[in-house]
Amino acid sequence: MVCFAVELKGGTNMIDEEIKPFDQSVLSGEPPHPTTGFQPLDSRVVNLWRASSLIGFGVLLLSLLIPVVAVGVAEPRALVWLALAWLAVVAAAVWFCLWYPPRLYRSWGYRIDAKVLETRSGRIFQRARLLPLSRLQHVDIERGPLERMFGLAALVLHTAGTHSANIRIPGLEAAEATRLRDHLIEIGGDDAV
Amino acid sequence: MQSESLAASVFEGRLHPLTIAFGLLKAARGIIPVVPLLLFGNKIYGFMLLLAVTASTLATALARYFSFTYRIEGNELITQQGILERKQRSIPLERIQEIRVEQGVLHRVFDVVDAKIETGGGQGAEASLSVLSRSEVDRLRQAVFERAAKIRLDAGTGAVEGRVDIAPERVVIRRLGVKDLVLIGLTTNHIISALALAGALWNFAEDFLQDSFYRRAGETLYRESSRFFIREATAAIALAIAVALAFILIGLIVSTVVAIIRFYGFTLSLSGENLHRRYGLLTRRSSSLPRRRIQVLKIEEKLLRRLFGLATLRADTSGGQRENEDDDSGRDVLLPITRRAAVTPLLATFFPDFDAGSTEGAGGVEWRRVSRLAIRRGAVKGAIVCALAAAVLFGVYWRIAALWPLALLPFVYFISVANYRNLGYTLSGRYFCARRGWAGRSTHIVPIDKIQAVEVRQSPLDRRLGLATLSVDTAGQAYTGGGPQINNLPIDEAREIAGALAHRASATRYIEERRRRIEDRGSRIEDRGSRIED
Repeated sequence: MVCFAVELKGGTNMIDEEIKPFDQSVLSGEPPHPTTGFQPLDSRVVNLWRASSLIGFGVLLLSLLIPVVAVGVAEPRALVWLALAWLAVVAAAVWFCLWYPPRLYRSWGYRIDAKVLETRSGRIFQRARLLPLSRLQHVDIERGPLERMFGLAALVLHTAGTHSANIRIPGLEAAEATRLRDHLIEIGGDDAV
Repeated sequence: MQSESLAASVFEGRLHPLTIAFGLLKAARGIIPVVPLLLFGNKIYGFMLLLAVTASTLATALARYFSFTYRIEGNELITQQGILERKQRSIPLERIQEIRVEQGVLHRVFDVVDAKIETGGGQGAEASLSVLSRSEVDRLRQAVFERAAKIRLDAGTGAVEGRVDIAPERVVIRRLGVKDLVLIGLTTNHIISALALAGALWNFAEDFLQDSFYRRAGETLYRESSRFFIREATAAIALAIAVALAFILIGLIVSTVVAIIRFYGFTLSLSGENLHRRYGLLTRRSSSLPRRRIQVLKIEEKLLRRLFGLATLRADTSGGQRENEDDDSGRDVLLPITRRAAVTPLLATFFPDFDAGSTEGAGGVEWRRVSRLAIRRGAVKGAIVCALAAAVLFGVYWRIAALWPLALLPFVYFISVANYRNLGYTLSGRYFCARRGWAGRSTHIVPIDKIQAVEVRQSPLDRRLGLATLSVDTAGQAYTGGGPQINNLPIDEAREIAGALAHRASATRYIEERRRRIEDRGSRIEDRGSRIED
């Protein structure tokens, strides 16, 4: 999480003096919102992501192998280029399976106070989503076969909104996900729109 | 009858006998495809088919008329239909947002209407009552809203809701005269109208002309016009301008006629908590919605309207799902046209607790601006587009004159500054307002207790500059084209605002929650057997 905060702060000194400091009076009486206090996901989610992209890329690479071999046999001169292209996909797969998941994991975080649930995610395009807890319509727990293998669960929070109508928190420890869900339902609100 | 309510049924009704006639009429349109078969094909088959179609539609219409009943029982409006398989639907009265009424030309002859009942959830109307007599709809509407108000009052929430009159007085907020309608027509983007007309004519002509005709006409036109252009350039240009002007003129006339047909006699009025709209020259439409259901209000000032100081008001209610076939019904606008200066006083009517001041820059509210880096970003983005266009043109023509897109650079900078000046937001205790755009400007007003989620996004470039985009999500965005979105906010400010909005949204709802929990139990559908098409 520390890593995340540092990255976000990295560019702020590029803003020149023309910007007036933010006027706190607009928010009088609001609680302060520091960028700290975020919970990380369960670290096993790194391996879950690795496994799922391994499977995805495995299927893709194998199915790509068929046309590569077929065309290569028919037109031997094209084989080199096709093989190179295929290897490029392999390189991308290695990057996605090895390098990317831990970094994505570090970018992820969530925190809950009495009124709001906030999630942070994204490595390249980062986004923070804030959900007023009284807006919760319902909460789902999702456990796919892979997630069950790793003892993890994903929490899906639904609102009545239009664009970000649901927020998914992946890779929570299964018991923790259940606890969170119960907690959210307990403090969560009504469905009046 | 399945649900045994404790409270006795207080209101009962059924469809107008003309339901059968209108059902048959609708079916008559379905018969048209059979006609060629009847005339040219196998006459016996055609006749049998015709008989089958007619008989089945007659049966459906009769069944619908005789089996369809509705009643108010306790806190619910219950509709019931079907003879063999009964389908019953219960709609809690407090959930009913709108009783929408449509009256086509034929309906008007017999003084009957189609009524649609809208609630917060689901696609389209929750129940469709077609057809009812006009007096019956008035009776139904009065019964529903009076009873809903009474339920709220009994639940002890009336005092907080403001005034809940049992028979509230209707106050006209705005009435559009023919002058206003002409103004709508003149400020609509009429190129689209002209194209639509051309398209319609083309479709019409296509039925009568043969392919070879197009080819010959095209060739002749091209040959003659190129010869004409070479010989008399001035006359040709004048002709082109005249054609363009004629095109625009036709567009203006078409859109004015369309505006008059659609919005003739537009009246926006308020009675108690409900906003009523009534409009239409041929098909008369009327609808009402409780103002506390407005999720987002959008003040739209497209280029032409902005030049004349005019604006359009749009509102999203949580029940508003855009129905495709309903596109020309004018449902999407709360007020089709108004002077921009007249909007601010209206806001207090739509939002009784509006506390964000005037949204017109002068004297009223102070818009908080975003980072000045927005200007630079806008200018750089525009410059890149210009440079690319110039490069492509230069590559093709290989001439200095082809670099003319670069001459647009000062204009690009001017637009960036203007956009920056118009981009801003204000945050008050109960409302969040955001404004954007220079050539076409739109202002979103969101009651904070209607906010569903808040999002802060950063692209890699945003991160380098320490900026972010803030967007606010609300329910049922069908007519305003998305909620407010502000880009180029300094990241710390974006975070603060997002946190404040989310916390306030949660807090407001907590107070309301206790009130509303009694009311909102969701609409319940008891669907036994197959679904019957409305």
